[in-house]
Amino acid sequence: MADSFTLPLRPIPEKRDRPDTLPVEIAQINNQWGSFREVNEDVLRNKIAEEEEKDDLDEVGESDQDASDLDSTERLEQLYKRRAEITQFAMQAHMETMFALDFVSLLLSKQAPRQAETSMSPFLKQVAPLGSLNAEVVNPPPKPESKTKDISAVSRGWRIQNFNAAANKLLQAASRLETEVASETRYWNEVLAVKDKGWKVSRLPSEKQSLGVQYGFLEATPVFRDRGLASLRRAEDGALLLDEGLIPSKTCFVRVRVIQNGRLSGSSKPTRSNFNGNETIEDRILQARDTVYEEELFHELVREARAIASFGVTTRQNLIQIPASDDLEILLDLVDTDEDTPEPEHDISQQGTSLAEGLAHTIRILLAYAHRQNLRRRTLLPLPLTPKTRSVPEHQLIRPALAYIKHMSHVRWLQSLLNDLFGVLQSAGLKPPAYTSRVFSTARRRQTSPAPAVETLIGQFLTPLLSTFNGKILTPRGSFSVAIHTNLSLPPFGTSFDVSFNMPKYPDLESPGKLSHREEVEAAITHLLLLDVVFTVSSNSGLPQPESDKDQVKPSWEAIYPQHGELLIPSKSEKRKKMKIALSRHEMSLEIYTVRCIDGTGRGHWELPSYHSMPHTWKPSPIAGSTKQPSLMDYVSTNVSFS
Amino acid sequence: MHEQSLFASVPVHQHHELLQQLAGLTAMQPRHCLERRLIFKAYRKPGVAGRTGASQDLQQGDLQRLNKMLNGNMYYTQVVGPVSESDFGSTAPVDRDTQMAGMDDSNPYGSSSSPSYDYERQSWKLEFRDIPEAGTRSAVTSRLMSSATLPRGDVVQAMNAWGYHFTTEYVVEGDMFIHNDIAIFLHRVLHYPGGGELNLPRRQLPALKDMTLFEKSGSYVLQAFIIVQDSSNQETMKTASQHLFGLREQLKSAVVLEQADRLSLDTRAK
Repeated sequence: MADSFTLPLRPIPEKRDRPDTLPVEIAQINNQWGSFREVNEDVLRNKIAEEEEKDDLDEVGESDQDASDLDSTERLEQLYKRRAEITQFAMQAHMETMFALDFVSLLLSKQAPRQAETSMSPFLKQVAPLGSLNAEVVNPPPKPESKTKDISAVSRGWRIQNFNAAANKLLQAASRLETEVASETRYWNEVLAVKDKGWKVSRLPSEKQSLGVQYGFLEATPVFRDRGLASLRRAEDGALLLDEGLIPSKTCFVRVRVIQNGRLSGSSKPTRSNFNGNETIEDRILQARDTVYEEELFHELVREARAIASFGVTTRQNLIQIPASDDLEILLDLVDTDEDTPEPEHDISQQGTSLAEGLAHTIRILLAYAHRQNLRRRTLLPLPLTPKTRSVPEHQLIRPALAYIKHMSHVRWLQSLLNDLFGVLQSAGLKPPAYTSRVFSTARRRQTSPAPAVETLIGQFLTPLLSTFNGKILTPRGSFSVAIHTNLSLPPFGTSFDVSFNMPKYPDLESPGKLSHREEVEAAITHLLLLDVVFTVSSNSGLPQPESDKDQVKPSWEAIYPQHGELLIPSKSEKRKKMKIALSRHEMSLEIYTVRCIDGTGRGHWELPSYHSMPHTWKPSPIAGSTKQPSLMDYVSTNVSFS
Repeated sequence: MHEQSLFASVPVHQHHELLQQLAGLTAMQPRHCLERRLIFKAYRKPGVAGRTGASQDLQQGDLQRLNKMLNGNMYYTQVVGPVSESDFGSTAPVDRDTQMAGMDDSNPYGSSSSPSYDYERQSWKLEFRDIPEAGTRSAVTSRLMSSATLPRGDVVQAMNAWGYHFTTEYVVEGDMFIHNDIAIFLHRVLHYPGGGELNLPRRQLPALKDMTLFEKSGSYVLQAFIIVQDSSNQETMKTASQHLFGLREQLKSAVVLEQADRLSLDTRAK
């Protein structure tokens, strides 16, 4: 810019018709031939003669090379002669300079006698007194009229030309300044607009003269916190440019995919749609903020995933695989927003998508919560300084979500188990009382919590999850309860079922306590219900029978091995009737047969079954009341009366 | 534990500006603090010191140590109790007798709607500060310190039992900032109105606006401090003072943080 803004201070040098000027030629001649003072007619004539001779000699030399060699003595002589010549030239030159010096010194001695005296030769001092030579400016002869006119015209022309040039330059500078002012105004207006939107605009710490906007999160991990600052640069036309430095401006997001039964069933969408082309600076800032948040999120997810590798979570370079429950697997990865490949639509289910979206929101909310916790921790009075550095614990992002999924899966399983079992019982004509369930019953509200309501709400999500199931059974005053604890943030990790029974009829039946496998829980509850059925059968069969059977002595079932579901009708004869009840979550089967054992206490091979009735089974029918089956009680009483 | 600190005096007209500067520096809002501070003076219980009878079974070294402990320097200590602004000028809970202790645990203001200050539930912390170390080469005030939590309520009895007299009390108001390891406390001292010295801590606090300034101009003291766990570790001590110097550089244009006069922080009881 400085180059284009120079005022010409010299007239343009005019072209000469002669290539060399006279002084140059004189200097050249002086070098070549020596001083002009020695040039006279004789010398020149000699020179010409010499040159002609030399030409002749050359011609001779060329024609006869062998004879051209001079004698060595002659050469030597020539050499001496040349040397003498050189010395002579040098002496001469010295003398000439001395003369010149003397002349100048004498001339100067008029003005500055003391100074000039030092450079005068002694001979001159003797011969000429100081200050005896003077120089004066002689008035030049008056120039002719035409020439003065010419000169004034030319100089006037030059001046006009220069004024024009200067004016042009000034106009250019003015317009340049105008555009500059316009673009500066635009730049500052846009900066102000950004500031008015609430973004923090400040000077860059690394580059004091430029402005930056802070869009990152102050409480983020230091790496990401420091990245949350970009400089606001000015384009040529004054538009605001967001300069994020070395960060790639690609937008990416953490994608949550839900894999159900090995098939992709849901995938979360990017939080913000991609801007195409006409994005404003506000959009760019938002996009940069989102990107830095997503990257931090993924960083923290990987950190946490490594810490919870014991849950079967595996991490690869850009993928976290979480086996959530049963057939559900969750994949987390960081992908570019625009790279989002269209998924095969047919496997996508509404439920899977909502689960993926829910998870995606959950981890983001939890990261924001972790940021708040960081602020809280940072503003507490610092602990005493110790040499060892405290490690930053991993944020809880996956664990609460995973705990929720696992917990819900267990709750659903238990609900279906109880539904199945109660369905079986109902199909057999028994009327079990309904059970009650309280899912997520941990929501205890702390009364005086200084934290804001939002944080309290999320804090509840981070506490161990608890759901309880309570139910009554057919046996009077009998009950059971199952509490499901899921805890992934503090040891002991995992889910435990706390099963407790209250069975007054069998006081030696102990509650199983804490169980950790579903099979164990299923076995325990099935066992309890079997006992319950056995007790019901044995107590109900002794009830007064309908009128027709009144005269008969009614035999009644006695629970002989209630743990195995076996009942017996005591009688004096060798053959006794035995009933075996089996209960599972799919069906209840009942078998009545005759044994020959002495007291019927033998089991297995010892009981020597003689007569097998076909086992009768009850299954919950898909359509209520489709087939009329006799209820358990009816079946039992009919069988007893047949004996 | 060791406390390293730097001090600065802040005139009252600069206070607001400095608060904003510190908030920007530390990226946090100031935490307003109001603290009751009771000063206790240690005294020698008569008949304890110098008694060397019945000490035949003590070894010579033990005896020396015991004597040193009993006849060593006596110090003033502070008992610090955080209070809130609403505690000032409020009345005692009226239905104290009818309320059972602990009933108002969850609800500190009781059933009455007006705020009240309950001396019996005031929490206390004992804070001991030694006289700053003499002749240290680094330019920070470094002193031995220790603190311990005391039971709630009336501390005078407990302190008497440990050999401390209640001397006087005052209130400190200020704002706390945290900058990495450094705690920055911008505070000033308030005196109770009236000036009549009691020999027991007040059970009621006067209104905050009635409190008189200790420093008449109302200027504040800025204290930046780091607490070091192990003073024998030269490395951490050096790190702590380096951090303080870093803060001093950062605040250079606002306030001048410097070492305090050693003798003005003398806590020894003469």
